[in-house]
Amino acid sequence: MNKGSFARTVTLARRNALEILRDPLSFAFLLGMPLLMEVLFYYLFHKMTAQFEMKYLAPGIVVFAQAFLALFSGILISTDRNTAFLTRLYVSRARASEFVLAYTLALLPITLLQSSLFFVVGGILDPSVWSVRMIPAVFVSLIPAVLFIGFGILIGSLCSERSVGGVASVVIAGQSVLSGMWFPTEGLDGGILTVMKILPFWNASDLVRGVALGEGGFDPAPLCIVLAYAAAIYAIGVVVFGRKMSAR
Amino acid sequence: MTAIKASKLRKEYGGAAAVDDLDLEIGEGELFSLLGVNGAGKTTTVKMLSTLLRPTGGEAWICGRSVLTEREEVKALLDISMQETAVARKLTVEENVAFYAALNGQTREEAEETKRRLYDAFGLGAVAGKRAASLSGGWQRKLSVALALVSKPRVLFLDEPTLGLDVIARRELWQTIRSLKGKMTIVLTTHYMEEAEALSDRIGIMKGGRLLFVGTKEELFARTGKGNVEEAFLEIVCGGGDHE
Repeated sequence: MNKGSFARTVTLARRNALEILRDPLSFAFLLGMPLLMEVLFYYLFHKMTAQFEMKYLAPGIVVFAQAFLALFSGILISTDRNTAFLTRLYVSRARASEFVLAYTLALLPITLLQSSLFFVVGGILDPSVWSVRMIPAVFVSLIPAVLFIGFGILIGSLCSERSVGGVASVVIAGQSVLSGMWFPTEGLDGGILTVMKILPFWNASDLVRGVALGEGGFDPAPLCIVLAYAAAIYAIGVVVFGRKMSAR
Repeated sequence: MTAIKASKLRKEYGGAAAVDDLDLEIGEGELFSLLGVNGAGKTTTVKMLSTLLRPTGGEAWICGRSVLTEREEVKALLDISMQETAVARKLTVEENVAFYAALNGQTREEAEETKRRLYDAFGLGAVAGKRAASLSGGWQRKLSVALALVSKPRVLFLDEPTLGLDVIARRELWQTIRSLKGKMTIVLTTHYMEEAEALSDRIGIMKGGRLLFVGTKEELFARTGKGNVEEAFLEIVCGGGDHE
């Protein structure tokens, strides 16, 4: 990447970050709602069941909150695509790769903020969450974040503004239901668990949870699976966005 | 010197020609209006000339550079203001100008000069701190056109720039466009005949993807025997004018 390309990418990323951060709904869904759920679930379940442990929930909330990145990156890209804004930028010297990188760079600092917030709040509610491993866990959470941004790029490149919400909610629901964040998965029927372990959602939660807890040594499988999904979804998103951007 | 040249430029969708072997030459510094009813091929023509659409056939050049083989060089020469308002809605007017200046590789000093130039030309200083989304339709359109001038293009495409504006906002934008005449080549597509009459050096009339007439107002009146552009346009479009 040359100096001009880097400068354009940073310029685009700054604009994208401002567009997202100035939307009150972004704060509500990227931070507010997951935070409310973290607090609510703690107070509802920590005395009710011995199976509930905040140190398992907090990493799950971190990744669940990241799933909303698919929604907000999708909305931004779809809105840009369906208005003349992106058409105008097509005529500028900016390239498709710079746009995609800028959408990603704008969201990664938000991811770091999400991860830090939900670990810290988890630690305030239940001191067993506190660990020096929280720091690497925050940075490892960037990997699933790239996966969800990839989903957002793909959805935003293919869907209209109206349909982005519906399609992105499938990803969010997948992360919520199939990640095992609310309950232990050990007792699940083998077939369901196998499906969960094939899809990226359970692996994304397990990856961050594994680093945060450090129990039983490091298992490379979730990392490899999430990396593979992230690379594939992101690459498809980049190709689809590039095709939409190139002259037809 | 020729700023825009098109030779047998063609765009087909599913076998139907949206633009049908268009030949056109526009001189440097000229303000050229492209008239036509909906579906005449005006916007498709503008999109092909500005590298947004790849032609099915033919060729076009902007200041001697091919839109087919020298797209990056062509992009550096032109800018476009689309029918729809194209602004970053949650950024302020000032941030929008700074964003486009940075995107065009301008230094801080150059960006400051750009800001002054556009504030003077469009009166944007009055709304500099307001977010684009909160502006009236007229101000948003003004900002959208202003942003097309950030890069100091040699060729500017204005695709129906006054569409949907009230009469006062339209007249204000005319005044601004008039002030740009001679400083760059401008291609204006419009539905408003009085707009073409008030602003253009030459007029082109399209119908069904074909260019039926190219010439000055006086040549248009002489050809049709009418005394205003609207009547002359109707004569050409409804009266079966030939390719000139």
